[in-house]
Amino acid sequence: MTRYAFVADLNRCVGCQTCTSACKHANATAPGVQWRKVLDFETGEFPTVNRAFLPVGCMHCESPSCRDVCPSTATGKRDDGIVTIDYDKCIGCAYCAVACPYQARYRVDKPSAAYGGKAMRHEAKREDPARLGVAQKCTLCVDRIDEGLAQGLVPGIDMEATPACVASCISGALQMGDLDDPESNVSKLLSERRHFRMHEELGNGPGTYYLYDGDIDDVAPTGSVPMVADPVGLAAVSPKVQTNWDWRAAANFILGGTGTGLLAMTMLAGLFVPVVWLAVFLALALVSAGLFCIWLEIGRPWRFMNVFLNPQTSWMSREAIAAVPLFGFGGLAWLLGSYWLGMLGAMSGLAFLYCQARILRAAKGIPAWRQPGIVPLILSTGLTEGAGMLAFVGFVTGLGEVSGRGMALMLLALVLARFAMWKKYRADLGETGAPTGVFSVLDGMRTGLSVQLQGAVAALAALAVIAPVGQGAAVALAGLGALVTGWMFKHTLITLASFNQGFAINKMPARGAGKSSQGIKPGWSQS
Amino acid sequence: MNSAGKPATESFSSYCYQCVAGPDLMKVDTVDGVPFQIRPSGSAAEVHPAQGKVCVKAFGLIQKTNNPNRIQTPMIRTNPKKGRDEDPEFRPATWDEALELICGKLNEARRKGLNDESGFPRVAASFGGGGTSTVYMGTFPAFLKAWGSIDMSFGSGQGVKCYHSEHLYGEFWHRAFTVSPDTPMVEMILSFGANVEASGGVCGVRRHADARDRGAKRVQIEPHLSITGACSAEWVPIRPKTDPAFMFALINVLLHEVDRDQLDVPFLKERSSSPYLVAPNGFYLRDPATQKPLIWDLRSGNAVAFDTEGTDPAIEGKFTVSGIEIGPDDKQWRHEEITCQPAFGHLVDHILPYSPEWASGVCDVPVDMIRKTALDYLQHAHVGETVEIGGRTMPFRPVAISLGKTVSNGWGGYECAWARTLMAVLIGGLEVPGGTLGTTVRLNRPADNRWSSVVPGPDGFMNYPMNPTRKGEFNETSASRHAHQTLIPLAANSPWSQALGPTHLAWMAQKEGFEHLPKPTQPDVWFVYRTNPVISFWDTGAVADAIANFPFTVCFAYTHDETNHMADVLLPECTDLEGLQLIRIGGSKYVEQFWEHQGFALRDPVAKPMGEARDFTWIATQLAKGVGLLGEYNTAINKGAAGVRLFGENYDFALEPGVEHSVEDIWEQSCRAASAELTDGVESQGLEYYREHGFRTVPFPKERWYLYPAMVEKGLRFELPYQERLLRIGQELGDRLHEMGITWWDRQLKEYEAMPHFQDLQSMWEKALEAQYDVKVGDYPFWLVTARSMQYSWGGNVGIQMIHEVAANIAGHGGVVMNPAAAAKLGLAEGDRVEVYSPTGSTEGAVILRHGIRPDTLLMIGQFDHWKTPFAKDLKTPSMNSLMPMSLELTDATGSGADLVRVAVKKVGGRE
Repeated sequence: MTRYAFVADLNRCVGCQTCTSACKHANATAPGVQWRKVLDFETGEFPTVNRAFLPVGCMHCESPSCRDVCPSTATGKRDDGIVTIDYDKCIGCAYCAVACPYQARYRVDKPSAAYGGKAMRHEAKREDPARLGVAQKCTLCVDRIDEGLAQGLVPGIDMEATPACVASCISGALQMGDLDDPESNVSKLLSERRHFRMHEELGNGPGTYYLYDGDIDDVAPTGSVPMVADPVGLAAVSPKVQTNWDWRAAANFILGGTGTGLLAMTMLAGLFVPVVWLAVFLALALVSAGLFCIWLEIGRPWRFMNVFLNPQTSWMSREAIAAVPLFGFGGLAWLLGSYWLGMLGAMSGLAFLYCQARILRAAKGIPAWRQPGIVPLILSTGLTEGAGMLAFVGFVTGLGEVSGRGMALMLLALVLARFAMWKKYRADLGETGAPTGVFSVLDGMRTGLSVQLQGAVAALAALAVIAPVGQGAAVALAGLGALVTGWMFKHTLITLASFNQGFAINKMPARGAGKSSQGIKPGWSQS
Repeated sequence: MNSAGKPATESFSSYCYQCVAGPDLMKVDTVDGVPFQIRPSGSAAEVHPAQGKVCVKAFGLIQKTNNPNRIQTPMIRTNPKKGRDEDPEFRPATWDEALELICGKLNEARRKGLNDESGFPRVAASFGGGGTSTVYMGTFPAFLKAWGSIDMSFGSGQGVKCYHSEHLYGEFWHRAFTVSPDTPMVEMILSFGANVEASGGVCGVRRHADARDRGAKRVQIEPHLSITGACSAEWVPIRPKTDPAFMFALINVLLHEVDRDQLDVPFLKERSSSPYLVAPNGFYLRDPATQKPLIWDLRSGNAVAFDTEGTDPAIEGKFTVSGIEIGPDDKQWRHEEITCQPAFGHLVDHILPYSPEWASGVCDVPVDMIRKTALDYLQHAHVGETVEIGGRTMPFRPVAISLGKTVSNGWGGYECAWARTLMAVLIGGLEVPGGTLGTTVRLNRPADNRWSSVVPGPDGFMNYPMNPTRKGEFNETSASRHAHQTLIPLAANSPWSQALGPTHLAWMAQKEGFEHLPKPTQPDVWFVYRTNPVISFWDTGAVADAIANFPFTVCFAYTHDETNHMADVLLPECTDLEGLQLIRIGGSKYVEQFWEHQGFALRDPVAKPMGEARDFTWIATQLAKGVGLLGEYNTAINKGAAGVRLFGENYDFALEPGVEHSVEDIWEQSCRAASAELTDGVESQGLEYYREHGFRTVPFPKERWYLYPAMVEKGLRFELPYQERLLRIGQELGDRLHEMGITWWDRQLKEYEAMPHFQDLQSMWEKALEAQYDVKVGDYPFWLVTARSMQYSWGGNVGIQMIHEVAANIAGHGGVVMNPAAAAKLGLAEGDRVEVYSPTGSTEGAVILRHGIRPDTLLMIGQFDHWKTPFAKDLKTPSMNSLMPMSLELTDATGSGADLVRVAVKKVGGRE
């Protein structure tokens, strides 16, 4: 077998950006798009300071999270380890971009010219409409590799068969070759030199290895990378809020969660009181609106049917598939007034909601999303929002049966459960650590799940349980509170707390006769 | 498109010589005739020290070629008023019209005489890129040669942005216009502000990476943690401009703290001026009969001439001797039975006060670090070891010292250049494998062969073509507006000398002339190519004002810029990828360009010129024709003015003089002559061969990297540690200038010491500022320095979007780098917009916080502050150039200044 990988010798790298530029030439990337680039790290305080340069790009992972999440199967992995994108299949959902912990993926929606206005003649010659609105990233110059192999050349050795970044590297820092060949250039380097892989703890098995020191010996493993909450001058390498998913994605989680929760709660309530068919309709409308919002966000909306192509691994495909019985059973139930069809719809809705939770959980590039605790939290808030909306709808439409003491009790229980899930999620996040900005965002009032807000909602629900009069208004208010705070949370989670992983350097390299030193994970902290 | 309807792709050979560390070879790919990609030259990997790679700057050439902001037709100014605030109102013109206008001005100037009433050439020319413009200007040098008298004194960075003291003293001591470690073999480098990882080109980067890989140790001594500091084993954050103290202390340790036999005593005795006895007035004690310097022979116990066979010279001790002493203008003293000691003994005494403890206080560097550095240097020197290269056994001394800009120019440059070279001499590491090497010759002749430039001179040292200072030979006027032949003996008088004169004096004189020098005049015609002095020089406002007064300026223009804003005619020439030219490659050239091959490389046009842009060779030919100098022009080409001599012993491809030749014909003949030169006339392949192969080389013996064999062969010594010649010419120069009534150069005369004394450079800068501007230096608490950037330096590429984009990945570009503690004291945070100001001017930029800079120092990378150049004018990037005064006080004896100024900072806006 063949497993192509990069090796970057940090002792050799001078941060010149020749690889960055060569990549831009070879791949005609748009202004601002850098499939390959070199980062500038600094550690320590004056006068004991170290500085190093770190080439980054697509890591061509062993278990690429981008491929697993891709709903269209556009992202693939070849037998030789190269992670590929089929531009003709990609729907431009950017799920891969938020699932990549290395910020390697870009989406360009419109042609852009280096000097604005009209494209220069070489830009015009090399415009590739197929790359607009879809995910793009380093291809490992797969065409050069394939054409080189066809000519009997060896990738990583023969310049013509080697990725442009490696072929152009002026210091000889960047190497590429076959890890499965023990005699290859990269295998030899890795067998002889100390090295690390970035964010290895995330389990992607990145295919870029960084050499940082001399001969391998029995020195203990490198251990975790020190987090520095407020690094000086490292904004460029610190986590930033992702921009791939905006309010439209948030709306899908908000409306999808509320809609599926509402359907479930409506059908649950239907066991005890007459089904509020208006709520069923409303639930389906909410989910539809959410999906419409996400449709507005994707780069290739008319390819949306490709979303169904990867149910094997993609929670987005599964979400789409779950939507089918949700709307089928739910719609028929509403049309026919069939409780059991409605119940099947609700079950599908819960599956849909679960898929939404798992979508976030699988987004490995966003520390605030990938926490295991996100799943129960998303589930519980969806149900809580659904219950809240049902109570509110019941009250304003005069269907008092669903805004009584039973509903108040249910709402109270869900609010408390959601709060518990939130606290657990938040505690886990504090323990594992996250970009510092995540904590400041999540701990603010706009998250909606603060003890004050949830206390007020719970108090209203409790009041509704015990109050002899005005029960309906109290439970409606509590429901509204549960609903709005849930929406606040998800909006914050998707658009504000969605800091990406950022970059880290596990070890500052030894330079010549110098010594290697502790690395840095900038912009991260615990608690 | 080709017949199959697919885009037609082609590949062309070219070179990149955008910086002084080139040239490097590359391939350019086109699609349907449009250049779109730069690639390394795989076929050059065998001969090129960096495996045929080119750096990031080369990749900017695609955008440079296709840039929509290019000037695509000749343009003629219609607004006679010039200045920053005047719209030039350029109008498009035909080539015929533009050339007629220029040739009219040239012919008018020629009719009046080549030189004006002050004796200055009526035609001036300024070129940028540290001399690299030549490899893009085709046969224009032949036009200049044909014309005759040209003033090249209006600098665009020369002297103030270069390694000036290194150039002059380096050539004086070891034919080293540029100096480099023998990086392929070196074990330890002390780098004082040298930023080789940013400015050493691909050969430098590759070799230093190889050196690190094999465990070499580099110590970077610099106020901020530059790219090179980042790539070094250790960073020593020295106080700005105190490097001489650190280096003197290193010498102190070697002379006063280690046994003498740990130094290379045989080298000192045989290859240096160490044994020469020094007489009471500071000049060598000489044999009255032969006037040769005397040494004390330990074997015979007598003073004998330095070149007496079979001696064992003393380098220390006091001896009773007799002889004569020859001072300035042959003034003689006769000494009988006086006590003298050898030059080395004087050195030991001279350096005694400069202890590590003393230097520690000056440099703000721990004393142990200084001492350890000196001892490490000695340990790695392998004194006594030899290595065989090319069948010759040579000393092996794998230690070297590099000097950066600001360290090796301006005041202190002499001290640093002397100390660096002396450190090499003490361990026998000058011009030997592993040690400190010169890599190119510019002032001595021949310029393409360092060994041949080793010509015996007086007293057992190499000759040096000083501008004469003796009475009766002195030049009271110079063929330049900066008086280089009058003021700077070391500048010599080669074609490069004008660029090495005190170029800021030419600008300063435009504002206010210098007493007792000819009245400053403006050139009748000024040619400008690949330079933008309104941005790249100091006191940029004053430079702009001076240029605005020039009556007729012709700019070979790529885009509009701040200098050609003041031009009368803009001529669009084919840029790097559109022009045709053959250049020399390999051998031993600038910086780290010493190869094991030498030959020629072609710059093959990869695309048709954009718009009406024309090949520079065509333009030069038309100018020569237009001024009636076609014969002289072709003759100059024949003699090698365009890079290769067209005739030799076994071949003759000379152009017929007096006839207009096409661009292709000229380079066809050049290619054939180049082939013949490389094969001793056996082969004569022309343009087609170079188009197919890109380049042609033959082996260059590695031993020729080192001057040592030539020195041994000719029995010569390096004039260190004691420079009697400098002492003498300094005194003669002083006498001559005083005879002219010039006293404003007296401070500079003090630099002519046989061994330099330490000067408090920081105080010198502070006092000059206070005196010139009547300010309190305490109001300007920071030292502002600059650094080169691989993405930008020399490239003239500030208007290239891609360069800006990728440079932004490296911290420091585009702002003011500050230490966080210093920023906190001023209430400044990352991204705050600040005004940085000196008494000269101000500039604005965003705060960039980094721990890797001293709290008393600010850093601005590159040269910006553009207000006209498209794209660049919108970058809002600060530049130190507008804060730098042009000051006679801060001009050293070689005519250079240093990029250093005291500044203050104030916040003008919030986070960007």
